[in-house]
Amino acid sequence: MRPEKIDWGRLASIIEKHRDEKSRLIPLLQDIQETFGYIPPKSIESVAEAMNLFPSQVQGVVSFYAGFSLKPKGKYVLRCCRGTACHVKGSRSILRVVEKELGINEGDTSPDYQFTLETVACLGACFLAPTMMVNRDYFGKLSPTKVTSILSEYRKDKEEQ
Amino acid sequence: MEDITLTINGKKISCQEGTSILNVAEKYGIKIPTLCHHHDLEPFGACRLCLVEEEKTGRLMASCVAPVAQDMTILTDSPRVTKHRRNIVRLMMAEHPESCLVCSKGNRCQLRQIAAQLGVGETDLYPIPNYKRLEQANPFIIRDLSKCILCGKCIRADHELVVVGAIDYNLRGFRSRPATVHDLPLKDSSCTFCGTCVSMCPTGALASKNTKYVGTPEREGLSVCGFCGVGCSLTMGVAGEQVIEVNPSHRQDTVNGATLCVRGHFAHDFLNAGERLIRPMIRKDGELISASWDEALEIVADRLLNIKRTSGPQSVALLGSSKCTNEENYLFQKIARVLLGTNNIDNGGYSSGQRLLRLIDEKTDGGCRIHPLEQLEKAETIFVLGANPDQSAPVVGYYLKRASRKGVTLIVADPRQTELADFASVWLSLLPQSDLELINGIAALLYQKKAYDPSFIDRFTEGFGEYGDGLSSLDLERVTGVTGLDLDILEETAGLLNGKKIAFVVGHGILQQRYGMQSIEALFNLSLMTGSLGHAGAGIYGLARENNQIGAWDMGTAPHALPGRQPLNDVLNSDTARRDWERAWQAKLLPDQGVNVVRMIEEAEKGNLKALYILGENPLRSLPQPERVRKALASVDFVVVQDIFPTETAEIADVILPGAAFSEKGGSFTNMEGRIQTFLPVAPPPGEAKPDWESLFLLAAKIGYTGGNDSLEKIRAEIAELVPMYVELDSQRDVAWVKETSKRKLFDPGGKGGMIPFSSVVSTGDEVYDDIYPFTAILGSVRYHLGSGTRTGYSDRIEELGLKGEVEISPEDGINSGLRDGDMVRVLSPHGSLERAIRLEKRLRKGLIFVPLAVNANDAMNLIGLTELCRPESPGWKTCRVKLEKL
Ligand code: SF4
Ligand code: SF4
Ligand code: SF4
Ligand code: FES
Ligand code: FES
Repeated sequence: MRPEKIDWGRLASIIEKHRDEKSRLIPLLQDIQETFGYIPPKSIESVAEAMNLFPSQVQGVVSFYAGFSLKPKGKYVLRCCRGTACHVKGSRSILRVVEKELGINEGDTSPDYQFTLETVACLGACFLAPTMMVNRDYFGKLSPTKVTSILSEYRKDKEEQ
Repeated sequence: MEDITLTINGKKISCQEGTSILNVAEKYGIKIPTLCHHHDLEPFGACRLCLVEEEKTGRLMASCVAPVAQDMTILTDSPRVTKHRRNIVRLMMAEHPESCLVCSKGNRCQLRQIAAQLGVGETDLYPIPNYKRLEQANPFIIRDLSKCILCGKCIRADHELVVVGAIDYNLRGFRSRPATVHDLPLKDSSCTFCGTCVSMCPTGALASKNTKYVGTPEREGLSVCGFCGVGCSLTMGVAGEQVIEVNPSHRQDTVNGATLCVRGHFAHDFLNAGERLIRPMIRKDGELISASWDEALEIVADRLLNIKRTSGPQSVALLGSSKCTNEENYLFQKIARVLLGTNNIDNGGYSSGQRLLRLIDEKTDGGCRIHPLEQLEKAETIFVLGANPDQSAPVVGYYLKRASRKGVTLIVADPRQTELADFASVWLSLLPQSDLELINGIAALLYQKKAYDPSFIDRFTEGFGEYGDGLSSLDLERVTGVTGLDLDILEETAGLLNGKKIAFVVGHGILQQRYGMQSIEALFNLSLMTGSLGHAGAGIYGLARENNQIGAWDMGTAPHALPGRQPLNDVLNSDTARRDWERAWQAKLLPDQGVNVVRMIEEAEKGNLKALYILGENPLRSLPQPERVRKALASVDFVVVQDIFPTETAEIADVILPGAAFSEKGGSFTNMEGRIQTFLPVAPPPGEAKPDWESLFLLAAKIGYTGGNDSLEKIRAEIAELVPMYVELDSQRDVAWVKETSKRKLFDPGGKGGMIPFSSVVSTGDEVYDDIYPFTAILGSVRYHLGSGTRTGYSDRIEELGLKGEVEISPEDGINSGLRDGDMVRVLSPHGSLERAIRLEKRLRKGLIFVPLAVNANDAMNLIGLTELCRPESPGWKTCRVKLEKL
């Protein structure tokens, strides 16, 4: 999702909503993540203040969970598996193909916020190796041609918009 | 808790339930290697090195977190345990870069030590060093996180001990590392550079930066921090003849535990400054030239005796040092009183409100002299007034923040929103100089609610009736007007104090303030009324700015008191104290009080002062109106300065005697708690410099003194014999406590002491402000400097930090005055001016200006007037009215 300008008022009201909850940090962060698509780094201080924590502690939690992100992500998040089973089946070249097709490196987001490319240690579908995920959909037994065609599906979706 | 029994390595042991296996083993002298455990930190269980085996079940467990259980049979060194420990260390080594040879931790790296103990050489694993960027963009700490083993000690020290929260784990797995918020360099984070994490780090991941020296210390010695009145216990690492590293000492019963502050940890590099005085100097034909000790002391003795003979002993004055040792101050005042026949002696602690603390001492007949800081963490309620220990005495700040985290109610009264205010249950943002009204107002509210301690009042005090009447007739509306606080917040505060014994922590905000005397009296009343005296974790804690300002007072470098805080002049008790000292010293002592340091300046201006001997003080930098002080001192016929640096004051001296710094001599300091710590030299003094007690003794001999005192031990023995407060001082132990000598057995239910009187309720006068000076400037400490910054100013690292000492203003006033961050301004008061950059600070309220002390040769002193501080009509040295001009 292309990041909108952050509505600080909205952020403040989310924080207020959670201020008096018990074990409230994770729900609050989830709420922010869902609302803005990521955790704006500048929100860390206000979250910490409201939760009576050190900002460094909040950042520790945010950066620990894969579900939170400090950077805005693309509409489609690609997760290429780099686990052992997939590695043996050539996941390195699959990743190369994806990088080349999208023109971005692992960890990056395309300038139009359409794609974010990540790698993971195992998607738990080793029997389909090599594998990748796009948002919540799995793709297995990948080959370079298969990758190209999958990606073109998502690109088409962009053109239709 | 139940007692249980278990076996460790075949040894039957009984211990309390709930402790960890490691604790019990250590108690019985059984060594278990650890990397992430520290006795001052919560157990963490990260490194697994402390594995032990339960013989019956074969379970392996981390002994630092595993609690003992009945009938356990533990093996701490079984072959299995050793095998696993080796593997753990091999894995850590495989991730480690191969820079051990050049690592500044050297052979003190615990990882290396443990690897050696376990016989791990080559790891035989595929090395996958975890390279991280090296950070050294600050003068104090180098972070090379590729050497980090994720033990978490730095993070826990930062959160649990110093309560700053600058760092925490960031990211997961292989990429995980301790990091600041947004992974910024330390200097852009909330890090205070206390270095506590550096001393804790078991590897070379965190190291002290030392630009001048490479390599590790050859030997270590114990000492006591020479900066503030907390008196932190230190280990100094020495190479050749220089102290190259400072860490908290490993002793466990110290005031600071495993912590230090940035000054103690890093600013001691002033010891090696090239500017140190290394030989005596005398003034000949207007020029200062080198001289031998003998020549210089001869001149001092001659001139002092001469002036005494021709102009009388009243024309001689001596200024003792709140930084020098007890032994030195004792000898110094003895020279003044016995050899020169004058009571004109004071010490630098005057400016820290010694006179005010004396009020409490007198009212309690010396029954409230001990204030262990550790009791603050167990206090019922803490009330901080006019103190910002986070900056001025950081270890006290740690105690207060830890107490607050543990749930102790903390109330902070400060015109500025200090870091400590963020930890408070209530922050009272009162107007400057209105503490007296605040204290009275709260007392009145408590009185209204009958929230006082009647049994304490009955047993130990008198005059409560009249005091109560005074409180009833207090005009609460005026209180809210003068303090600028709503009645609501005063009520809330009173509610928090209701029924509690209170620990008051007071700093320069009160001790240097215009209504300081009255405020202390009001505070004393409040502490009587709430029964807060004579009770652990309660009472009045006065912050001491200088390391030995309490000791200097105790030793009698004060115009009004003999050693042991005994009155010079006490007709009611037939001057017993003075008579005793006359007998002990076999000399006649003058009964009249001498002059304090401010009066010394005034006497010099009047031409009455002919000779001034200054030991380890720099009045030209530390007193208000430096130009006036310079003129006054220049007019004194003969000025001796004994110091370690060519200070502003030394420049006008007729004789300069080079002294040894605390780490270069033996002695003892007394901290703000009443803890007396003795120490030995860890390095020799530079050049021909001598410990001050030694040069003072040589001088005394030249003046004609034959009564011993020619070794530290003898001076110390004389103090212990003659000063009842210091009976425990001797060379055999490192730590002793002052004795509370109250003969009245105060607060002892069985004691038949006299009652402690309440004093009457007084109010501040109505302030009339001159519109020409629209702002109130508050002068305050910064943690990178101590006092006027003479010594910290010679620290390379502090110098490198390049503090500009920006004057702070509220954004509202800043914008109204057309000022932006970084603009240069002139701050003017009726007494003088200074020029600095300005910074808009949103934590500052409208109408206030904050001027950091010590920076820029302490030019903040230009703004305030020198008039006597500790008198009811004093103008105060803490605040003044100013105006601003944009440059
Ligand atoms: S930096 Fe040092 S103290 Fe901190 S986690 Fe790493 S090894 Fe432990
Ligand atoms: S130096 Fe002190 S404040 Fe800074 S991170 Fe280390 S422990 Fe925290
Ligand atoms: S300056 Fe004070 S708080 Fe800091 S290390 Fe020294 S004694 Fe401790
Ligand atoms: S290794 Fe790729 S799915 Fe498990
Ligand atoms: S010392 Fe026990 S796990 Fe580290």
